Amino acid sequence: MTWLLWRQHRTEVCVLGLLVGMFGIALLVLGTHAHDLFPDGPAQCAGAAGLNDACAASFRRLDEEYGFVENLLAAFYLVPVVVGAFLGAPLLARELEDGTWQLAWTQAVPRMRWLAAKLAALAGVTLTLTGLFTAVLTWFRRPFDAWEGRFQYDAFDLEGLVPPAYALFAFGVATAAGAILRRSLPAFGVAFGAFLAARMSVALLARPTYATPLTTMERVPASGSKDRAGHRPDFADWTIERGYADATGRRLSSTEYYDLETAANRTGTNLNQFLHDRGIQQFGVYHPADRFWTFQLIETALFTTAAAVLIGVVVWRVRRRLI
Amino acid sequence: MTEFALRTDGAGKRYRKGWALRDCTLALPAGGVIALVGPNGAGKTTLLRLAVGLLAPSTGTVEVLGHDVTASTPRTLSRIGFLAQDHPLYKRFTVAEMLRFGRACNLRFDQGLAERRLAKLGIPLDRRAGTLSGGQQAQVALALALAKRPDLLVLDEPVASLDPLARHEFLQVLMGAVAEGGVTVLFSSHVVHELERVCDHLVVLNRGRVTLAGDIDTLLAEHRLLIGPRTATDPDRAATVVEAVHSDRHTTLLVRDGAIPTAPGWQAQPVALEDLVLAYLRRPSEPSAAVTSEVSA
Repeated sequence: MTWLLWRQHRTEVCVLGLLVGMFGIALLVLGTHAHDLFPDGPAQCAGAAGLNDACAASFRRLDEEYGFVENLLAAFYLVPVVVGAFLGAPLLARELEDGTWQLAWTQAVPRMRWLAAKLAALAGVTLTLTGLFTAVLTWFRRPFDAWEGRFQYDAFDLEGLVPPAYALFAFGVATAAGAILRRSLPAFGVAFGAFLAARMSVALLARPTYATPLTTMERVPASGSKDRAGHRPDFADWTIERGYADATGRRLSSTEYYDLETAANRTGTNLNQFLHDRGIQQFGVYHPADRFWTFQLIETALFTTAAAVLIGVVVWRVRRRLI
Repeated sequence: MTEFALRTDGAGKRYRKGWALRDCTLALPAGGVIALVGPNGAGKTTLLRLAVGLLAPSTGTVEVLGHDVTASTPRTLSRIGFLAQDHPLYKRFTVAEMLRFGRACNLRFDQGLAERRLAKLGIPLDRRAGTLSGGQQAQVALALALAKRPDLLVLDEPVASLDPLARHEFLQVLMGAVAEGGVTVLFSSHVVHELERVCDHLVVLNRGRVTLAGDIDTLLAEHRLLIGPRTATDPDRAATVVEAVHSDRHTTLLVRDGAIPTAPGWQAQPVALEDLVLAYLRRPSEPSAAVTSEVSA
């Protein structure tokens, strides 16, 4: 069975391994240089962009020399779906397309054992490839995380535990779609679409609700340029919403705020002074940075459960001989 | 005690679009060659897939070599060889890799036997399966199935896609394997021609139902053609008439009555297997109704 698994799937595994390996090595090379900008390690500079001149200089060079790489990282949102769907789609669909399921399941290996071996091996490859790649990417992003925090979409979605879970989900969708549609290419397409839809709706709608966000409310300071270090939400927190409220804490709409601004201009006072005098407060709704791993675990559990349900559908269909 | 190669009791299979096989009760003895005949869409593939455990019946039971095949134990599976329609192979595997696949996935696999068969046919082991001709692919698939040394070999339309030469060669190899002994062959075909020469047992399937099943010699002995003056069907005989064909002056009845004495004015003739099968294929699936057809001229 091991030989058969390797013989049937070596092309996909090699192509994906090569791609992931190439990008991984490129990130390691670039990342080593980027890390060299921080002699004491990027973590030492976390949140110190405005406090420490050496760190500020490091961050500036990081932005100048590697800012473009950080923008390119967005392409790696697709690594999990490419790996998972590429391995999952042909698992059953190719056998069904070519009629070879009738060959595979009439040898002496019972179909459930055949399926279990395939699922375990290919899900294992999916997790290994995305896991290794994510480890490299997480390391690569450390200087950027020290600068911008880890809760933004371009960090949270690429780091830690969630990318392998996304990949497992893509693998599950692709396998189930392949079992139902009986064609590899449409199964790959369905997996791609389902992946984008699930990822976007979870990231935009579900993720902010994993915990109750915290709210800060403080009076607008009289002079605007005051150093805000130590105030929440800070750079590493995940700000959901931010705005102005009146002295009673009632949130102001944008028109109300605009009216205040016009009034300040008309009287010729400094805007901050004007707001301060009227007791206007600034509020921020946010998730503190230390919720990162909790949120990662919740999202990982969410996608892993979905993957498990989809694999369950596949197992059920094969077991019931619906295919 | 006779072991049955395939025994079904009220077996049926329903797909989403309807019943592919209904109420199928068969007891096919082990040994010899069994032909499953029917037009396209009659349910032959469904019945064969039930027989090798690729499908589970929606109703009834299917027993192969005395075991419930849906249990799919390695022991039961290794006793059955299956050659699916269009003889699928892993197209990108070489022939040698196909044999390795067989060895890896079976409890017993006679690699030497398969290699000898393929060498005799001049099929190189290092060619990719997808680049072989249709006839050669069928031979590789047959060699794979036979190397399992199965007790039951099931073939779905094995020669339908082959040219006459490849068809002849394939049947020769198959019958050679049967002659070597031990294996029961169950194969489906929509070609009625030449069945008599190779088969011992016959099952006719039409629109998802079994319309005729039995030993070929017995079936031929039970049926005969009666030719006489044009009449409506004799009410005494109605139950035994399979088919009645009327021309201007004569009536030809295909009857299943053993060999009771012929009425005056009627001539009895033996029926050819092909005509017998065709008569049953023309018959509606309800067992009581006989077909009456008019032949002009």
